[in-house]
Amino acid sequence: MRPVSFPSSTNDHDGWARLRMSPLVALIAAILLILILPPTLFLIDTSLHTTKPDGSLGAFTLQYYRQLFTSPYLAASLRNTVIYAIGSAVVAITLGSTAALIVERTNAPGRGYAFLAAILSLGVPHVLYVVAWLLLLGRAGPVNALIGFIGGAAEGPALDVYSIWGMIVIEGVGFAPLTFLLMSAVLRSTDASFEEAAMMSGAGPLRVFRAITLRMGLPGILALLLLIFIRAFESFEVPALVGLAGNVSVLTTDIYQSSKNASLPSYGESGAYSVCLLLIVVLLLIWHHRLSVHARRFQTITGKGYRPRIIDLGRARLAATLVLAATFVLVTALPVGMLVFTSLQPFYEGLTAESFARFTLDNYATILAPGAFRDSIANTLMLGISTATAVVPLTALCAWLAVRRRPGAWLLDQIATAPLVFPAIVMSVAFLQVFVNLPIPLYGTLTSVIIASAVRFLPYGMRYAYAGVLQIHEDLEDAAKTSGAPPRLVFVRVVLPLVAAALVSCWLFVFLLAVQNVALPLMLVGPGTEIMAVTLFDLWQNGQVTELAAMGVLWVALMLVVSACFHFTAARYRLGV
Amino acid sequence: MIERAGSHRLRALRSTVLSTLACAALLWADGALAQSPEDILMYRGPDREQKLIEGAKREGQVVIYAALIQNQAMRPIADGFGKKYPFVKLTTWRADSEDIVQKAAAEVRAHNVVADVVEGTGAGEEAVEANIAQPYYTPAVAGFAPAYRNPTGLWAPTRLSYYGTAYNTKLVAPDKVPKSYEELLDPQWKGRMAWRIGSATGTPLFLTNLRIAWGEEKARAYFDKLKDQKIVNFGAGSARTLVDRVIAGEYAIALNIFAHHPLISKAKGAPVNAQVMDPVATTAATMSVVKGLHHPHAAMLLADYILSKEGQGILARAEYFPVDPDVAPLPALAPIVPKIAGVPENFVGPDKLIKYTDSSEDIYQKLFR
Repeated sequence: MRPVSFPSSTNDHDGWARLRMSPLVALIAAILLILILPPTLFLIDTSLHTTKPDGSLGAFTLQYYRQLFTSPYLAASLRNTVIYAIGSAVVAITLGSTAALIVERTNAPGRGYAFLAAILSLGVPHVLYVVAWLLLLGRAGPVNALIGFIGGAAEGPALDVYSIWGMIVIEGVGFAPLTFLLMSAVLRSTDASFEEAAMMSGAGPLRVFRAITLRMGLPGILALLLLIFIRAFESFEVPALVGLAGNVSVLTTDIYQSSKNASLPSYGESGAYSVCLLLIVVLLLIWHHRLSVHARRFQTITGKGYRPRIIDLGRARLAATLVLAATFVLVTALPVGMLVFTSLQPFYEGLTAESFARFTLDNYATILAPGAFRDSIANTLMLGISTATAVVPLTALCAWLAVRRRPGAWLLDQIATAPLVFPAIVMSVAFLQVFVNLPIPLYGTLTSVIIASAVRFLPYGMRYAYAGVLQIHEDLEDAAKTSGAPPRLVFVRVVLPLVAAALVSCWLFVFLLAVQNVALPLMLVGPGTEIMAVTLFDLWQNGQVTELAAMGVLWVALMLVVSACFHFTAARYRLGV
Repeated sequence: MIERAGSHRLRALRSTVLSTLACAALLWADGALAQSPEDILMYRGPDREQKLIEGAKREGQVVIYAALIQNQAMRPIADGFGKKYPFVKLTTWRADSEDIVQKAAAEVRAHNVVADVVEGTGAGEEAVEANIAQPYYTPAVAGFAPAYRNPTGLWAPTRLSYYGTAYNTKLVAPDKVPKSYEELLDPQWKGRMAWRIGSATGTPLFLTNLRIAWGEEKARAYFDKLKDQKIVNFGAGSARTLVDRVIAGEYAIALNIFAHHPLISKAKGAPVNAQVMDPVATTAATMSVVKGLHHPHAAMLLADYILSKEGQGILARAEYFPVDPDVAPLPALAPIVPKIAGVPENFVGPDKLIKYTDSSEDIYQKLFR
């Protein structure tokens, strides 16, 4: 008999815990699979079959994969996609991390408002955000007008936003609030004593940042990079609204342009693309998993007093505040301001002198017409609250199990991240098929929308929770265990309170994403169950840009109220948001 | 003992079978008295309305999936219908035509039918293609122009759309406005025109219209020249959004947009106007009845109502164009109605839209992408 070799790690769990935990992992994996398998199988099925006019699947075919790989536009689109993904990730991470660093680690005055600003911009539906940027940077926009004013009249616009740089800026800036929130979660729980030690040893702030802060936060930053990268690969709004008009094609718009049968459903090509993306994501996650094998090196919340200490910037405090303010202007104030301006115009013709004489509240009157929001607000809030409440605890548990390397727990991360690559339309059709065929009467109910919505936003919750849990040292849990606490109690009494701050932000984030999502609920909700998104949909289909802007402004205001309520409630219980 | 129990069980079984048969007979008799949905939908007797009302009272509700704007069109329709037939509860679901048919088709295949009636541009023929439409008879369409009607009764037209170009009046001088398709070939418009892709009523309709009106050869020669104009392919976003871009000065001209949209903005003072060209592409939104529907009587009452002068009037006030020739469109929008403008129209009916869209899309892919 060969000797059984045990892992040499001293921190390994005893067999008892292993046995105790495995069923839990299996149970959660089963729950996740039940939620995620149907759309995944549907996705794979649609990529391998033709779609019949009634939406059912026809003959087996590999044509969609063939088309994908033999498209004459493939090389150019792939190149553009990579540039776009890297570019927007760099823009988002630079903006978000800088702001997070200032807010979490310095004593710059007014830094507390950064969260409010981030939440404010997360409250703007993504499509409207893109529209606002196009209004700003477009041919008739104020930026081009300003350049024309300074540089004199030139042939054509000085800045052509319908280009790859336009796409990178808009997507990158749009993602900055998310990177800010995620980076804050990472930084907040990073032990500052290493930084202090480095500073004491005479390292300058840049060196400290490079050698300590950046390194310590590496897994968190990588996870974030992964998220933005994947998002950029499957994003559609920016490529469609910005790229297509400038003839810059990326993979998603390439598929959009190639799917023929504009009048009949055809999901084959986008299905094939999503399956390829899914494979890439699995590979990336495996790589990320390998990387965080050494996660212990990065665990910074240890048994010692871990609360990060604030760095006194001295005179540079005001400069840091200025950087924050500039970021706020770029990320939030400019687009929201543009929406406000446009919403007060009878029609949008640029930021001209005459336009200031034409202010009107007509658009708001149209939007707020009696009955427009009948029943919809309550349903919408219900959808957001339920989705976030379902996603956050589940992902917190998954992330903890995955980070603590419970047997098989790496699978949880994989499964929970899969929905990231599902195109919204394919996902809504998949869930439609599932619910309409269920023997239990879920079809058309708000519950069915909540389930689908929870699946859609699982990956976001997962990344958020992962970043939070990654940095909690096992010592604390071990201490509790040694004192006789069962695993359940360890999780509830030790882990949860430590990651609470990250989870509270995560909840709000998922809430904001869930309520502004249009495509998914639209297909699933039944007649008579109205959600706000439908009003938004009407405007998107038929509304003038000025009405759309008015809707956006009202929406942002509502989200601000919700977020503020949340913020103050959380503050009362000392859970910083 | 065992035998006893066995015969006892046999007796029980016999009585079960008998009672089941009796029930079936009763149900059959009931079914013979009540009509099948097909009979109700096709009923032409003089007591049609009376019968529908009686049946609808039993059904108590009706469900429509429609592409009508909720606030301005669907709610007034629901209010009017509710006043006329207070015993029927109307519930609605709003989406675009493609999603409407997708959802209804999924319901039919799963034998879990919620929708009774579907409405939308393209909904009718998509429902026919998906094999979920059921023929129905409504006297309301009798006054409609024959060209707009469907002889098989699988759909009825509810509203019309006219397509034209939008131009920015600050960028396009009055004497330079292209008034014909030929004038769009003027080099001064190169790179300054946009059209909407990704929808059957976008680029494919523009191409289909000319292919039908001119014949393939002439149309193809024209497209070969048009491709050099480097038209901007406007993705994602509605036809209305494209008009807004013209107002903002992003593009001088937009092709194949809903011709009344520029008029609505022009009335507010926006620097935009519409131009219709010979031939004007016209399409109809259509209404179909779903196979396996649960409320056939109420569905017929609803269809009748939407197609009635009252229903058509509501749609007209919501800035749609009525099919009923006796119902006038909004005066502000009338100038682009081909009959009123004196420009010939080419009705690209649902059948033609289905027949030509794929090949027009191919032309787009080859020449204009």
